[in-house]
Parts: sequence; structure tokens; C-alpha cells
Amino acid sequence: MKNSLRSRLFVYFLISMVIIIFSMGFAFINSLNLQHIADRRFKDEQFLQELQFNLDDIQEPLNTYLTSYSSSSLATLLFIIETLNEVVPNQRPVTSSNSDLIKREIYFLIDSYLIKLNEVIEQKRGRKVQQYINSYSDLNVLYNYISSKINDASLLGFRIQLAEYRRFLELFRKMQLYGILQILLATAFAFSILMRTLNNIANPMYQLSLMAAKLSKGNFDIPDIHFNSVTEVNQVAEAFNDMKLNIRHYVDELHKQKEIEQQVLTEKYRNLEMEQLLKRMELYTMQAQMNPHFLFNTINTGVQLAIMEDADRTAEYMENLAALFRYNIREKQFFVSLRHELEGLKSYYNILKIRFPKTLKLILNVQDDIVDNFTCPSMIIQPLVENSVLHAFKKKEGLGTITVSVSYIDPVLLISVRDDGSGIAKDTVRELLTPHTHDYKLNSRMMGLENVIQRCYFFYPDQKDVIDIKSSQAIGTEIQIRIHTEVKHV
Amino acid sequence: MIQAPFLSGKADDTAKEVKYHYAFFLPAADHSFFSKVKEGAIDAGKSLDCAITFHSIDSDPVSFEMAHLSGFDGLGLYLYDKDDKKLKILGDILNEGIPVVQIENEVLQGSNSFFIGTNNFNVGKAIGQIAKTTDPESMKMVLVYSKKNPGLKSDDNLIEMGIKTVLGGSLVELRTEETSLNPLDAEMLAYKLLKTSPSIDIIVLTDPNDTLVTVQAIIDMNLVGMVKIIGFGEHETIKAYIDKGVILGSIVRNPYRIGYSTVLALKEISINGYTSAYVDTGITVITGRNP
Repeated sequence: MKNSLRSRLFVYFLISMVIIIFSMGFAFINSLNLQHIADRRFKDEQFLQELQFNLDDIQEPLNTYLTSYSSSSLATLLFIIETLNEVVPNQRPVTSSNSDLIKREIYFLIDSYLIKLNEVIEQKRGRKVQQYINSYSDLNVLYNYISSKINDASLLGFRIQLAEYRRFLELFRKMQLYGILQILLATAFAFSILMRTLNNIANPMYQLSLMAAKLSKGNFDIPDIHFNSVTEVNQVAEAFNDMKLNIRHYVDELHKQKEIEQQVLTEKYRNLEMEQLLKRMELYTMQAQMNPHFLFNTINTGVQLAIMEDADRTAEYMENLAALFRYNIREKQFFVSLRHELEGLKSYYNILKIRFPKTLKLILNVQDDIVDNFTCPSMIIQPLVENSVLHAFKKKEGLGTITVSVSYIDPVLLISVRDDGSGIAKDTVRELLTPHTHDYKLNSRMMGLENVIQRCYFFYPDQKDVIDIKSSQAIGTEIQIRIHTEVKHV
Repeated sequence: MIQAPFLSGKADDTAKEVKYHYAFFLPAADHSFFSKVKEGAIDAGKSLDCAITFHSIDSDPVSFEMAHLSGFDGLGLYLYDKDDKKLKILGDILNEGIPVVQIENEVLQGSNSFFIGTNNFNVGKAIGQIAKTTDPESMKMVLVYSKKNPGLKSDDNLIEMGIKTVLGGSLVELRTEETSLNPLDAEMLAYKLLKTSPSIDIIVLTDPNDTLVTVQAIIDMNLVGMVKIIGFGEHETIKAYIDKGVILGSIVRNPYRIGYSTVLALKEISINGYTSAYVDTGITVITGRNP
């Protein structure tokens, strides 16, 4: 927690307080010095004045005593002498100070003065008139000299103190200057610390705000931010980095979920399309079933046969018809075995043979060994044969031939329906071989051939040559279905 | 007393305690001689841990009168103008047992009185030696004393004796004159001498200021070379005049050494009770040959 904002502020506060205390202490010490100088001068002056007053106090009682022999004056004199003896210090060290030296002179002079004063008193007592008159005169000279010395000492002391006071004032001015400098330095220091602290806090906050702005715009790739600031700001930065990381994580998750949902929707859409296709194929398959006219004609033929002939052929015809119906009705699967498809075709052949015994020749060439090995879409051969029966021989006189061949040329299962009819126009062939788009609208006029072609395209989308039509005018038409047995159908 | 670091300089209450207090009583005139004496005394006081105070023997005679009552441990006394009162005061001081070093002039002798200064007889001999370089046959000389440098004039006429000792019979006339404390007094004297006594060969001055003023008068009167000058002191101008041949030579005493030796002697007396009774601080002669 040394780096915390609270600790820093506390330390800065302590430093500022120390500087302030130092400055105030300095000013306090200087003021004490000033007081000391003044006080010492006053004490010296007071002491010198006390000496002078005592000496002055001697003059009147001395005169009184010498003139009137007054005992009270004598008592006063003796009291002052005693006072002076007590006041004047006995220790008089010699120093290099002129002030001390002159005071030392004064003390010795006062000693001499008091001795002479006692001599004068004794001479007065002894009534040695001439002697005490001379001594009194000497005493006056000494008194005046001491007074002048006291004045000299006072003046010298005053000059010394004045010089010291001037020196102190100069130093005090310097100190004031230093104080101002100190205040300026302290202010600059405090300001720099304040600015540093503010920068330590404001810069990271500014950086954080910039990052927050980028984040708010969805930019989560900005690098992590790290500060060497106070603990609180560093913690905010770390929390911000964590928050950014978490938000990015959540956004990524949302994106993934969205992609998954998109994929699901796409899959659903594809499934719907598949369902539509399947429904369409079912419809194609339904449409591939024999139309009601054929069934009607066939049943009429069966009825006529049953009237004109014996019941054997009718029975055979109806048997084949029933087999074909069963096949048509029963087979709802998309793929059936080749054998199964061929059995249906054979039933249809038998019916056609009965219907067109003299005008239609039906040939079936099938490799017996492959019929159980392969499958094919249901109801793809019979509609082709039916298409030839319906359209190939309209303009032809005589016998028409339809040949169905099924062979296996590794890896292709080849189914061929060939007729020798009038052929199909090229434009029609091109239209027929065009794969229908999903939105191709089915109509009731859709032919069986087209149904087979589109179903082949549907079941084998990757095999563009799954079905082909080779047709020539007056020669005939061959429709080939090539099923790559190694390619999986839909 | 708490004291700020900036106030730890010299202060009166930081005065160093010493053991002895010596007082110098010197003439009031502030000439370089006495300034040097004071300088030597002060330096000696610092070196020897003594307190030195200076008093005027002229303008403050009461101080001298009260000296024996002032607690001094010794006196340095330059008493040039001896009168009865001063002799009495000096006697009182000596009677009190206060040691006294008499500088340049020993006016009163006593068991606690000592002498430090220049031997004036030697000064006279030095003047004679300088004058002798002019190769005189009948020399007329004027010796000008000065109250500004009173120590040279004594009742014994030692300087005159020294001059006569060297010059002998070639000195046909030796007059003495004296200038006052007025620094321009010598100029007036020079004009008077040169006008009233044009036969003067050499004028001997005993004060640096008198020397400079007299030389200027001779130059103004265009008498350079006709009247020779023997000066006093080692002022730079005097040295320059010596180099130019305007002044024959100059006598230089050593006032700094006088002041220093006085304090040294007083301390010896304070410690040992005695010192050399006579100390000659010597003189230096400056001529054109030894600038």
C-alpha cells in the first residue's frame, strides 16, 4: 500500500509540514537572536546605568558628610559603597573584546574610587583637612573619568550592538530572501508533486477514457493498458483490462452463437428446399404414374378382348395390367432395384404387345447378371417407352420398334431406350435437357420424358451427362441414362 | 542561546578570553609610524593571546593619569613630550609595579621600565654615511625634527652626535629646526631656509611627510642638485625620488617591529618578571644603490 494515493498524499503532507516547520523554525530562531541582541544590550546598558547611578548617588551624601559630618550621610555612603562592592563583579577576565576591556577598566577604576572614598572618609574622621580636600579633588577627577568611561563603554557597546544589529539585519534580510526562496522552492516542490500526482492520476484516466471510447465503438483489439501510477488507478486499469477481455469474450461468444444460428437457419432453409424438392419429386412420381386415359383405354381393350375372345388372353392381359398397376401403385420408393424396374417394364411390354400387336415391336436387351447388383430411380424406363409409344410413331406407317437396353460398362450402368420413330426436334431436345431451377413451376402438361430427365438431374446433381437424347429426323431417337455406380446419388 | 547557522559569524559575545591586558599610550597624530606600531601590537596581541587597547597621550591625558588605576597588566608608552606632570604619572605607574615599555624615548628609568626603539645615535651615523657620499669639504647641514615623529628628538642630541661622528670636520654647520603637526609646515620651513640660508648643502628630514613637502619646494625653486635632501620613511614617492637622484637616501625605522616587540616584552615581563632592558629595533637605509 506504499504506492496508494492515500499513502502518497500522507507523505506529501508530511514533507510539506516539515518544510513549513523548518521555515517557521528558522524565522523563530532569528527572532530569538534579535531578542537576544536587544536584551543583552539592554542588560549591559542597565548594568552600566546602575553603576553610574550608584556613583552619582555617592556625590550628594559625600558632600554632605564632608561639609556637615552627617552620620546619616555616612551611613548612606557606606550603604552605597557596599552596594557597589556587591554589584561590581570580582571575576574580571581579560578578553579580546574592547567592550569587555573597557568594562574591566571601569571595575578597576571603581575599586580605586571606593578605596579613595574610604580614604577620604577616614581623613575626614581624622580631621586631616588638607588631605581630604586634595583627596576629594582627586576623587572628583576619578569620578568624572569613571563617568566618561561608562559613557564610552555605553557608546562602544551601543556601536558594537548596532554593528551586530546591522549585521543581524543584513543576515535577517538574507534569511528573508532565503525564506522567500525557500517558500518558492517549497511551492515549486509542492506544485511539482501535485502536478506529478495529478498526472499520475489524470493521464491514466485520460488513457482509460480513450480506451473506453474505442471499446464503445466495438474495437476490442486494443492492447492492454498498464500504468505505474497509484495503486487505486493501477487497480482500475487492471479491472478495465479484465472488463475489456470479458466483453471481448462475450462478444465472441455472441458472434459464434450468431454464426451457429445462421448456420442453423441456412440448414433449415436447405431442409425446406429439400422438402420442397422432395415434394416436387413426389409430384413428378405421381405424374409419372399412368394417366387416367391410358388406364381407361387399356381397361376398355381388356373388356373388348374379354368379349371377343376366350378368357385366357384376357386373363393374361388383365394379369399384366394388374402387375403394372401394382408396380405403379406400390412403388413409392425413390430407388428400386434394376430387376424390379425391369419387371414393371416387362408388364408394360406385355400390355403394349396386346395393344399394338402389329404396329409395335418391343425389344428388351438386358444383362441378366447385373439386374440384382444395381438400383435406379423408380419409374424411369417405362415413361420413356411410353413417350416413344405416344409420340414417335404418329407420323409413321407400319411397324415401329422400341429397344430397351440395360448394360454395365464399369463403372457406368447404361440404360438406353431407342425407337425408330420420327425423332425429336433439336430445339425440343435442348429444352428437354435443360435442368429446371427450384422455382420452376410444375404444370399439368408436363410430359413423362421431361419428368424422367429432371428426376435424373435431381438424383445425380454432380453428373451432368446422366441423361442424353440422340435424335434424328426419320431415323429415330435414343435416350441414354448413364448412372455412375461409384457416385452416390442424392 | 539557540543560534541560526547564518548567525554563527563573529559576535562580541564570542570574544576570546586572554590573560593579559596591555595599554598603549601613543601620540594622537595618526601618522603611518604609529599606525604601523599599532598594527605590530595588534598582531602580537593576537599571536600572544593578549588584549591590546590604545589610548591617546595627547588628547586624553586623563587616561594616562588614570592608567595605574585601570587594571592594566602593562603599558607601552611613547612619551616624547616629557613634562613634570607626565613624569609624575609615569612615576606613579612605575611605583604601582606596573611594567612599562618606553618606546623610542626612555624618559624615566625604573626597575619595571624597559626601552624599545631605534638607537638615535645609529640614525645619526646613518645620516652621516649618506651625506658623506656627496664628498663634502665644508658641509652645511640642516636637521629638521618634527613633532609628527617626536621620538627622534632627545635631550641627548644623539642624532647630531652620530652625524658629527661620521662627518667630522667636513661638517662646518649643523642647524636644527622643528616642524609642527601641520603637514604643510615643512614647506614653509623649506622656503624660509632656502631663501635665508642659500648656502645650505643638505637638508635632513625626520618625517616622511616633511620629506615629500620639502622635495616639492626644492623642485619648485629649481634647486634640485644644489641642495641635497636626506629623507625619512619608505613612501613609494620617496623611493621614486631616490631613483631619480632628487633625494640622496632615506632612513627607515621599523615601527611594526617596535609595536610587536613591545607586546612581546610586556608578556615576557608578565610571565617571567623581566625582559631585556634595551631592545634596538634597528633602521634601514635606502639609497640609489639599494632601492
